[in-house]
Amino acid sequence: MILKTLFSQLLTRPVTNRFPVKYMPRSVTGLLRKVEEGKAKIHPPVPVPESFRGKLAYDREKCIGCQLCIRVCPASVIKFKPEEKKIRIHVARCTFCSQCVDACPVGALSMSQEFLLADYDRFSENLVVE
Amino acid sequence: MESKTFEIPIGPVHPALKEQIRFTFQVEGERIVGVDIKPGFAHRGIEFMGMHRNLVQVLYLAERICGICSISHPIALIQAVENAAGIEVPPRAQYIRVIVAELERIHSHLLWAGVAAHELGFDTLLHLTWKVREKVLDILEELTGNRVNYAIPIYGGVRRDIAAEQYPRVQDMIRYYRGLFEELCDRFLNDASVEARTRDVGVLEPEEAEELCAVGPTARASGLRKDVRQDWPYLVYGDLGVKAITPEDYGLETRGDVYDRIVVRLLEVGQSLSIIERCLEEMPEGEITSIPKIPALLAQLKKAEGEGIGRHEAPRGEVIHYVRLEAGVEAPVVWKVKAPTYSNLLSWYPMFEDQEIADIPIVAASIDPCICCMDRVHLVRGGRKELVWKEELLKLSWEKTKRIAGHGLRITGANDERA
Amino acid sequence: MALVYKGIDRKLAARMQGRIGPPIRQPFLDLGKLLVKETVIPRTAVRWAFSLMPFLAVVASATVLLYLPIGPFSPVLSSYGDLILVLYLLAVPAIAMAIGGFAAGSPYAAVGAQRELVMLMSYEFPLAVVVVALAWRVAGLGVGPAFSLATLAANPLWTQVGPLGVLGLVLLLLALLVVTPAELSKIPFDIPEAETEIAGGLMVEYSGANLALFYLADALKTVAMAALVVALFVPYGIAAPLGIGGVGGQILDLAFFFVKLFCVIFAAVTTVRVAFARLKVDQIARGFWIPLTAVAVAGLLLLVLDKAVVG
Repeated sequence: MILKTLFSQLLTRPVTNRFPVKYMPRSVTGLLRKVEEGKAKIHPPVPVPESFRGKLAYDREKCIGCQLCIRVCPASVIKFKPEEKKIRIHVARCTFCSQCVDACPVGALSMSQEFLLADYDRFSENLVVE
Repeated sequence: MESKTFEIPIGPVHPALKEQIRFTFQVEGERIVGVDIKPGFAHRGIEFMGMHRNLVQVLYLAERICGICSISHPIALIQAVENAAGIEVPPRAQYIRVIVAELERIHSHLLWAGVAAHELGFDTLLHLTWKVREKVLDILEELTGNRVNYAIPIYGGVRRDIAAEQYPRVQDMIRYYRGLFEELCDRFLNDASVEARTRDVGVLEPEEAEELCAVGPTARASGLRKDVRQDWPYLVYGDLGVKAITPEDYGLETRGDVYDRIVVRLLEVGQSLSIIERCLEEMPEGEITSIPKIPALLAQLKKAEGEGIGRHEAPRGEVIHYVRLEAGVEAPVVWKVKAPTYSNLLSWYPMFEDQEIADIPIVAASIDPCICCMDRVHLVRGGRKELVWKEELLKLSWEKTKRIAGHGLRITGANDERA
Repeated sequence: MALVYKGIDRKLAARMQGRIGPPIRQPFLDLGKLLVKETVIPRTAVRWAFSLMPFLAVVASATVLLYLPIGPFSPVLSSYGDLILVLYLLAVPAIAMAIGGFAAGSPYAAVGAQRELVMLMSYEFPLAVVVVALAWRVAGLGVGPAFSLATLAANPLWTQVGPLGVLGLVLLLLALLVVTPAELSKIPFDIPEAETEIAGGLMVEYSGANLALFYLADALKTVAMAALVVALFVPYGIAAPLGIGGVGGQILDLAFFFVKLFCVIFAAVTTVRVAFARLKVDQIARGFWIPLTAVAVAGLLLLVLDKAVVG
């Protein structure tokens, strides 16, 4: 009966991941500050596989400015910089479909494994890749 | 003393509903005597957006029509475009598409099972089912890079291959679920309180299901053997010989109630596991797409002319996409989506007759409503919202068909009618 | 103390579902948060009833505790009332919630209140049968006023009856344990407050301080009900058998009482809460009036038979 499962679960470790901390802290920003100072530790998130579609990574050297990535992007994430013939990526709008990665003829774009991208400012340094 | 009829609104925002739809029930005490359903709260104008983007961008728009049926819409769209443009697909790509589609079916049915348990008040089953669903999500993440919105299919094939070292992990998952299958069935189908809540509740007779064009598990639970994979074989389903599942396959007589729908969905999970296994064994080597270069693909799509229909058996039923392409125009000239919940919506009316208020959440959840897939109708005339009655709707559809069969669609601002 | 038990209940229920669950101090945090929030009274509500009912519920639940023996201590107000009064007082929070639901002026609350009243009528009968059965047996012993809880506590019936009586007592205990989650509106009997169906039922319009009072009333009622079960069926102390007297013995008894409370809450509330789906109101009404009353009456009959046999 279901009681067997219930009692066995009572005695085993819960399946929930304790990311970032087990219980809600009194102040979230206080906790983040303490982590930066090294006074508190955050439980790491569940690790992701290698082919995970995370934040875009851009290799400037390889880019030839063909604008194919801009043509296929469904969310108008990529903006062309005509004077340099390079691109600027606004990660805040990205849907992580990686179509631009497939479209690029020289392989200048790839997807990293980063996914902790929450931010207050859409144009912050973390969210604009050039 | 005659009893008074009260009107109780459920929705659009309500804990019982996972998405916004408005019910208005007329009740006498606890018994429901009438129901009025009003959708339209999740309309996002996706078809309109699709007509302003090139086909590759439209693919990702289609993917995000719904989160759980997230590969059903791209597969249907891709088949429509491939039919219209005459693009061939290599066999290995078709197998991979089927594998991911069946993985999505397992995911969707497990999610639904948890949600149904939650509607019954049985939170423990919710947590248990969603705990086991993590395994299929991990496999999907491994194969496609994301837990939902898999971005696997593309016109002419698929974007990622399944590497040989990933096979054992998929087979592990299949073994894990096979082992759990008995327990899952036991938890849901042999539990006394679940049976008390779902037996003879929300009954849909086979004649009513046939008349109202119900699709998917809703129709199959009423005994109709309707399945797009069986009736109109596409991709590799013809080779696999998939058959529709009804409660008789579990040894029960079909009653068309909520219990039967649970049975059908759980059995389909088992069927999907077998399909994935066979696909992994029978998958031929070869290339995964027939047009690997994106500029070539875009050029070919731009030249393409014609119309095509793509169908797929989503976890909720049959999803149809219609696409019309014109040479020289990158965007699809006409794009129409018919989601499975659209067909199942009307079957709510006979299901709610003579039920109690307490049955509302589970009956509403039993057809697995995916309102975000479904919302296509929103008539705004000069800024006012109106109800459209049957004759007028028919007249509008005739006009639209004439426009579609003619020479494309001109968009004229406020008179935009998408019915 | 009641909030501690509520916290333990939530934590254990979560662990049984495979989750981490809230920390045990969570109900205190919840109560504190509710008290500082704004209290919104809907325009269509009957103001005096709406605001008075939570207060009444808390007062009634707290008063019940004053009539129950806690550990080794006799009920505080034993000379002012007895078991029948406890029965009535237990019904008051339920009625208060129902009136509050009707006073809220929302269709969801009205439906919830109707269901609460139906459930109240259903579970009162088995509860009354159990109480009357025990009181009658104790009266047969002739050691004191029959319905007084102090008497019941001092003379546990397990040792006073023959084997038939023991079986009868077991049946009565079972009936009472099934009535407990119904009394407390917990799954499988929480239909007045069904979250997914009527968005919170009778509590739907309550907020801020009113909701805090209802929350507290619910916690207090849990403890009161469990204490009633303990007082009626297992009022044993642990100090006397161990031979520890004086203050140490009293503290030990008190601790043992809390442990007994925990066991009752675990068995009747927490485990049941996670193991079943929610039943519909007509199923509950039918289930309580027919099978459960039959069980309770069978227990009563067995006790009668036993008295006739043993003498």
